[in-house]
Amino acid sequence: MNEPATAIQVKGLTVAYDAKPVLWNVDLTVPRGAMMGVIGPNGAGKSTLLKTVLGIVTPIAGSVEVFGQSNRSSHSARTNIGYVPQRASVDWDFPTTVLDLVLMGTYGRLGWFRRPGAKQRQEALAALEKVEMTDFANRQIGELSGGQQQRIFLARAFVQDAPIYFLDEPFAAVDATTEKAIVGLLHELRAHGKTLVVVHHDLTTVAEYFDHVALINRVAIASGPIQDSFTPDLLEKTYGGPLRNCGIGDCSFAPVVPVTIGNHTNSTSTESPSNPEGDNV
Amino acid sequence: MFELFNDYTFRTVLMGTVGVGTVSGALGCFAYLRKQSLIGDVVAHSSLLGIMLFFLASYLITGQGSKSLFVLIPGAIVAGTTALILTRAIVGRTKLKNDAGLGVMLAIFFGTGIFLLRVVERTDPPIPGRRGLEDYLFGMAAAMTQDDLWMIGALGLASILVMLLFWKEFKVFTFDPQFSQSIGFPAKTLDTLLMIILVVGIVIGIQSVGVVLMIALLITPASAARQWTHRLSRMVILSAMLGGLCGATGSIVSALYSGIPTGPVIVLAATLIFLVSLVFAPRRGVLARWLKRKHETKQAKLERRAV
Repeated sequence: MNEPATAIQVKGLTVAYDAKPVLWNVDLTVPRGAMMGVIGPNGAGKSTLLKTVLGIVTPIAGSVEVFGQSNRSSHSARTNIGYVPQRASVDWDFPTTVLDLVLMGTYGRLGWFRRPGAKQRQEALAALEKVEMTDFANRQIGELSGGQQQRIFLARAFVQDAPIYFLDEPFAAVDATTEKAIVGLLHELRAHGKTLVVVHHDLTTVAEYFDHVALINRVAIASGPIQDSFTPDLLEKTYGGPLRNCGIGDCSFAPVVPVTIGNHTNSTSTESPSNPEGDNV
Repeated sequence: MFELFNDYTFRTVLMGTVGVGTVSGALGCFAYLRKQSLIGDVVAHSSLLGIMLFFLASYLITGQGSKSLFVLIPGAIVAGTTALILTRAIVGRTKLKNDAGLGVMLAIFFGTGIFLLRVVERTDPPIPGRRGLEDYLFGMAAAMTQDDLWMIGALGLASILVMLLFWKEFKVFTFDPQFSQSIGFPAKTLDTLLMIILVVGIVIGIQSVGVVLMIALLITPASAARQWTHRLSRMVILSAMLGGLCGATGSIVSALYSGIPTGPVIVLAATLIFLVSLVFAPRRGVLARWLKRKHETKQAKLERRAV
């Protein structure tokens, strides 16, 4: 059977919360085997884009295809996409252990009513070993550091053993060691032919981590291979002003001087003051 | 007191309150973890209106007001869920915030229920069967009949079975609803199911605990159990046992001292358990945390002195 070269195809996607559009007419193609960074300011709809493809959010218009099948069809998204939500989206005081949380990654394949058994435990332990968290298997999840929490979220997704992975800000507030470790694991997944879509905030590392990029700010500004789409012009369009220190072209490692245009200051800072509630949309 | 246990009526009441405490203790864990205490309270308080309306309906139909749980529990379920559905509809269409919507709905349903209760109490000629209606405010376990016990048992067992059947799904949905949905468990289905068993868990307790205090039997055992364990399964089991213990205390005290409403007794027992758990639980307890901090401060001082 000929495997499709496109992992995800999004066409004319429009999403609104309370009649307020979050994404407008977004087209996006994720080639099979790509490692794509999703870049854009806070509140740009990056998380919403991921959730819509996953079928968590229902769009008001447009279509999503995963390996050529609509994500409305019963199997496409849930078995094809492993998902790592934002770490802050759950309550870490939930009474459960590390191993138990990772086991949740097997629930999708188990389907309704079937319980995880010895085989699933083996899979979960193997995933914990991969993220170097084996010693923590019986710990309460609330006792973990931010980096450790991110590692076990990743382990849960590994257990899903999906051809595509969606990660929502996996590097948010984790230590440098964990970030390096996670990037290593993601590159390993890519080497195994997996497709990865990662919401990312640190523009200085985009070119280093990813081979494809999607620039999103309510609309899709651009998407494609890094060398075509990760350009100063397009970034300015995405963030609404010139950037400094963005790690590409002339502006790379430029002295840190705030650039003022009109009545607002632009910077590469990902904390957009106009969006105090963050990117949880 | 031993002859009490040989008393048939008392055994009925005891089984009823223990059953109610066990069920609401177990289901309360999910309300606690989903931060839905207020929703539970709205269901409990609003059920008074349903009780009054169904009592009046039974009077209009048969000429005799019925206080059988076969009549009143359906009324409580209808009123409780209507209050929640109305809140959702209003919050979805206006700028009103969810907790404000719930608060307003509680006031409307409970207020109207109280109004009807007082009207029914004062009608002349009196409505047959109206005596004891006010016991639904603070609970009177002694009023429980064999039929009531059947109703409580069947509904309680059914909701526990649903909880066990969907255990894995409820767990992942409660912890991480987005992930749960991404792996194919629709949020709407699981939310509705959890809501239904929560409502059932609440309304079966209104006779023994009363609409005003029922929320305490739902949330307090769960809050106490959370202190002692960090596994959902153990939390649910412990909470169910604590709830059952509170229920037993309530029926025993209310049998020994006639006229004491069961609700406050059950709630006091739950409060005592909760306070002990809050202070003495290992790791999460106030005492354990205080000792740990003291130890750490001492350790830091020693290290500073060493330098």
